[in-house]
Amino acid sequence: MRKGMVGFFMVLCCGALLASGCAKKEMMKGEEGISPPSTAKPAEQIPAKPSVKEEVVQEQPIKEAPASVKEETMKSAKAGESALERIYFDFDSFVLTQPSRDTLYKDAEWLLKNNPVKVQIEGHCDERGSDEYNLALGEKRAKAAMNYLVTLGVLADRLSIISYGKEKPLDPGHDEAAWAKNRRAEFVIISK
Amino acid sequence: MKRAFFTLLFMLFPALVHAQQGYLEVTAQGSHQLQLAIAPPVSLAGGQSAEVSQETTEVFRFDMSLAGPFTVASPRVTEGRSGIRPGDFDFVPWKSAGTDLLIKTGYSLTGDNLTLECRLYDVMKERELTAKRYTGKRKELRRMAHTFSDEIMRVITGEKGPFTGKIAFVSTTTGNKEIYLMDYDGFNVQRLTRNGSINLNPEFFPDGREIIFSSYKKGNPDLYRREIFSGVEARVSSSRGINVTGAVSPDGKRIALAISKDGNSEIYTIDKDGKHPTRLTNNGAIEVSPAWSPDGSKLAFVSDRLGKPQVFIMNSDGSNVRRLTTSGTYNVSPRWSPKGDRILYCRQEGGGFQIHAINPDGSNDSQLTSEGNNEHPRWSPDGRFITFGSKRGGKEAIHVMRADGAGQTKVSRGKGEDSHPTWSPRW
Repeated sequence: MRKGMVGFFMVLCCGALLASGCAKKEMMKGEEGISPPSTAKPAEQIPAKPSVKEEVVQEQPIKEAPASVKEETMKSAKAGESALERIYFDFDSFVLTQPSRDTLYKDAEWLLKNNPVKVQIEGHCDERGSDEYNLALGEKRAKAAMNYLVTLGVLADRLSIISYGKEKPLDPGHDEAAWAKNRRAEFVIISK
Repeated sequence: MKRAFFTLLFMLFPALVHAQQGYLEVTAQGSHQLQLAIAPPVSLAGGQSAEVSQETTEVFRFDMSLAGPFTVASPRVTEGRSGIRPGDFDFVPWKSAGTDLLIKTGYSLTGDNLTLECRLYDVMKERELTAKRYTGKRKELRRMAHTFSDEIMRVITGEKGPFTGKIAFVSTTTGNKEIYLMDYDGFNVQRLTRNGSINLNPEFFPDGREIIFSSYKKGNPDLYRREIFSGVEARVSSSRGINVTGAVSPDGKRIALAISKDGNSEIYTIDKDGKHPTRLTNNGAIEVSPAWSPDGSKLAFVSDRLGKPQVFIMNSDGSNVRRLTTSGTYNVSPRWSPKGDRILYCRQEGGGFQIHAINPDGSNDSQLTSEGNNEHPRWSPDGRFITFGSKRGGKEAIHVMRADGAGQTKVSRGKGEDSHPTWSPRW
């Protein structure tokens, strides 16, 4: 029994030594991680400006409005937005539909009339695709819109593109009506 | 019962032998699970603390329930002597309760200083398997217990557990998508970014001290590298267009990502400081989401070059492209297992995504999830567990499960929608 206890103590000591040595090192690393991020810059917390949220549309009844037809009337008169109309896409597609081409034709007319204005075209997707793939798909949508405007005579250096993937849905709903609204390209005036 | 236990020992011994080679699949199907009991922690010195006792038990219960080889039992055992050292308690009542493995824990709490002494016993053999003592502050209790859980996995399976690891993820708690860090079980949530913009896709460097992520903080979706402890950030890819879905190479020297400056998104690799870009794909289709093989020689990625997004594999110099996923019309988000034997990906079916695993040669495709919408799977560093974002009714939340899809458990409990988890290297 005594022999057993001695053996046990040796095991324990070794184990404890290893453990405490190792644990302490790890603890310190852990501790480092704990303070800086949480205390660093509390001032910046919760920016008052939730960049471009579309609250107006959130309140719309979801069932109404087959997207491509009535969407324009919902447009909020926010700074940065223009008389340019959004266009819409089919699921997992960046091909311009005929209604989208018609809209872009009107948008091109407006751009040609308002010559110095520069516009950023935002490409957006609905929530169903993967968010990673949608970042690339949104860009293709914006680019398709830009290319078409250029063929209609708008100078390419007045147009830029950005993709938000599915990060900025226009309609927070989870049905086809919402998705149809969210698969879109938008036009934001960045300089007059 | 005895017979069952002998079988178990046979299972365990090869495990220990194999430990040197470093791998044992702990979730071998059909195997008998070890019944593990957690004795109520006892005070070794100083006063009792019901909180310490309860929290310790909770951590062990959570870790061991997820672990795989164990069934965590709560036998009603009345101990005559309830010490934690060999000879200070009796095995008999545990034996008759059917316990195979027993965790005994003692603590001493003096002011804010905590010592936790943890011991694992093989009840049938009346033998101690491992003993560790941890000292630190009271707030480090969970970490101490997770460390012993990792040790239990080492003793039983030959490879340490990943339970001391952290999960980085994206949360909308503030109304914006910011990057957060938490223990793998959802505790100790810390916010990392506070730029009020959209931040996406955090991934760890192999040393666990830095992450990369994409952010719109300067307008364009650029790729950033950030030291976790200091908060220092560097913008490492800011080409015109998207700079997204970054993945750090296993040696930590290169970053694979999707860049669209050539007109549409292509897979590139860059140095960790953004230098020496190498373009790997050259295709009018969408290419995103590169994932390194563990030896760094190959990359899985997503391309819609055949019409719909599918997972492809290429050598890490861009050569030898071949298609990996052949069934399903929309397959994305590949992640190569740390041992190289499996690739996770997400398949869109029936309006949502489900997580699948497949061999790198395209064989043995199996579906791991079926409830709700499940995306963005990432391996634990030992490859035995998976974390993923899942929406099941309520908010999207971070979940964990075993590599075979068993034990799916929600771990994030925040106010926001939580997504894009990634499991840190051992912390």
